[in-house]
Amino acid sequence: MRTSLAAGTTHMTIEGALIALLIALAIFATLWWMLHPPASFVQRLAKEAESELERMVGSIVVVFSPEILSTHMMALAAKLARGERSELLAVYVVEVPYTLPPDAEMPLEEREALDALGAAETIATNNGVSLRTETIKARSTKQAVLDLAKREKANLIILGSFREGKYTGAPLGRTIEEIAADAKCDVLIGVEGKHGTLLYEEPTP
Amino acid sequence: MSKDHKPELRRSVTPWGSFSWGYSDVGADIFVGLGLVLGAAAGASNVAFLFAGVVYICIGLAYTELAATYPVAGGGQYFVLRGLGDIFGFIAGWAVLLDFTIDIALFAWSCVEYLTELIPSIAVGVHPWAHFGVVVLLVIGLCVLNIIGVRESTALNGFVSALDIVSESAILTLGFLFAFDPHLLVHTMLTSWPSPFEFMKGISLAIVSFVGLESISQAAEETQRPASIIPRTSVALILTILIFALSYSNLALGMQTWHPIPLDAQGHHQLLWQWLGNPDNNGKAVALIAQQVPYWGAIAALYVPVLGAILLLISANSGVFGSSRIAYAMASGGLLPSIFQRVHPKFRTPTVSLLVFTGLALVEVVFAALPSLDPGAASFYAQHFNGEAGIDFLGDLYAFGAATSYSFVFVALVALRLFDPLSPRKFKIPLNIPVTVRGERAEFPVIAVLGFIGIVAILVFTMITHPIGRVAGPLWIVFGIGLYFVYRKRKGLPILRSHKRDWRSEQVEILRRAGELELMDEYVANLKASDERRAAVKA
Repeated sequence: MRTSLAAGTTHMTIEGALIALLIALAIFATLWWMLHPPASFVQRLAKEAESELERMVGSIVVVFSPEILSTHMMALAAKLARGERSELLAVYVVEVPYTLPPDAEMPLEEREALDALGAAETIATNNGVSLRTETIKARSTKQAVLDLAKREKANLIILGSFREGKYTGAPLGRTIEEIAADAKCDVLIGVEGKHGTLLYEEPTP
Repeated sequence: MSKDHKPELRRSVTPWGSFSWGYSDVGADIFVGLGLVLGAAAGASNVAFLFAGVVYICIGLAYTELAATYPVAGGGQYFVLRGLGDIFGFIAGWAVLLDFTIDIALFAWSCVEYLTELIPSIAVGVHPWAHFGVVVLLVIGLCVLNIIGVRESTALNGFVSALDIVSESAILTLGFLFAFDPHLLVHTMLTSWPSPFEFMKGISLAIVSFVGLESISQAAEETQRPASIIPRTSVALILTILIFALSYSNLALGMQTWHPIPLDAQGHHQLLWQWLGNPDNNGKAVALIAQQVPYWGAIAALYVPVLGAILLLISANSGVFGSSRIAYAMASGGLLPSIFQRVHPKFRTPTVSLLVFTGLALVEVVFAALPSLDPGAASFYAQHFNGEAGIDFLGDLYAFGAATSYSFVFVALVALRLFDPLSPRKFKIPLNIPVTVRGERAEFPVIAVLGFIGIVAILVFTMITHPIGRVAGPLWIVFGIGLYFVYRKRKGLPILRSHKRDWRSEQVEILRRAGELELMDEYVANLKASDERRAAVKA
């Protein structure tokens, strides 16, 4: 019986071809099956939350005002927007008292707005995301924010606050709580505890 | 992180990582085993692989069920500890420790042998000290890699395993497609059938080609969702290795060669399987088959020696990983001093275990290298070890350690099925007989009994055919038992009896840490139902 091939020839048989095909298919199918295990309950939860995030952060509005201090949340918003490629808008709301005309000049508040939005732009630039800024004068901060969110079709409003260490009946600030209660989209409130000092362990006496 | 936080092994091993840990250990075996089996079982090599493969399937299924049910580091050692008690758990673990340290030494050594194809100056015969130095450096390097972290070493295993699977699949598919002759296969089987003794010897060598599947279960504590992932990776590994082993052996018996086979030492013509099985070639049979594949052989000749070296290196790497994890698990179970449980605070790997057992492997490398380094030692070996070099001595022990621990694992599987029926089993070996034990419904695994008979037969045959292993293997076990008695006495722990443990709480904790929360809920519900049943019976 011949046991070696003539130079430059092959010996192809139906049996050999079938076995070759079977080997390739069996190895491929085995590895594919191994690498695709069914998802666990926890993994399904995580996947749902992740897909929810994509919907949640399509358009983000970061709100500033004399009583809404969102600079520390702006950094978070910028990172979020970068990761999820969201549209980002920073808005400073100057509340005009009823004793003044709606378009009254308020140089102090407007100067504060420039600082806050300037810092927001710097954070956005540092994180490589584009940011639109806007200053709004309004009688009610809450209504201005809600109207703006509707106009912009915002998915998420981000608000910053800090804990003063005293209970006032509205620990996050009345405006923030009202916005959170009436907004038609998700609201993220970042509360800075004693300006971050709560993270440190206090020495025991 | 608080100061009293106890670091745990981190769960970073993915499904592919889990598979490649097992593959890196078992995959290299066929590179060595194929030639040995062809040399012993001749025309029945494919049947020998099939026979050993059946035992291997039983072993694989047993490990799969146990690792999915008890996903902790330690593998077989932990299952035996839990099923049969401390002393048997120690013996099983001690036998596997022997295997893994030999694994490190043997495969690092063989890796350098392959490298000599590219760098002849490091061959033992040319510069024995250079050869020795490179082996030592390899072992130390693998130790450092494993200390840095499992993710890094899993990445190495994963890459090389993928490369090897693609390469071996290419060799086999192209070999069958272009050069397989079914009539030649039948002719070889009919005309070259071995004697019963040779056939049994072939089977005992074939089982060595399947050693290493337990690496998957030893990495269970670091595997993501182990109860779900391990059954898949284990079954995939069993199938992959079996496909390769059966395909190679059939191809070797029925392949028409691309190049003429050289004449044998007496100047006679020889067939491919005879050429692959002779002592000069049996260590590189896969590489030689690859060279005989039409077209592909030209490329294979260039890279298969490198692939062989890499595979052997990762097999040594899995030895480093496996030995450290077993020691970690044995220390957790009070079978070894707690220092082996110490985890590096930054890398979260069992540093002490890694250092000690790679150190032991280095001692074995010295033992293996002595005859080549010192002529005085060579004559001593010739006088006392039947002329075998140190590396052969270690090889003999390899099969002994594996067969011993596998035997215990089968018994442990039966014991755990009967006495721990409440633990949820996401994967269960088929063919079971329903029984009632202590008022609980359990299932008796028939396949475990068949597997036990098979592996004990192979253990007995290994001891009959390997005179060095027959003495040194049991000596290693006796030495370990002595150490165990001393340690247990010093610690005030029971020596022959088992330390009392709350297996119920431990199982809940194991499943919680594994992230298998649904199984944890199921287990707690099973316990509650069982307690209620018992209370009702008492009332």
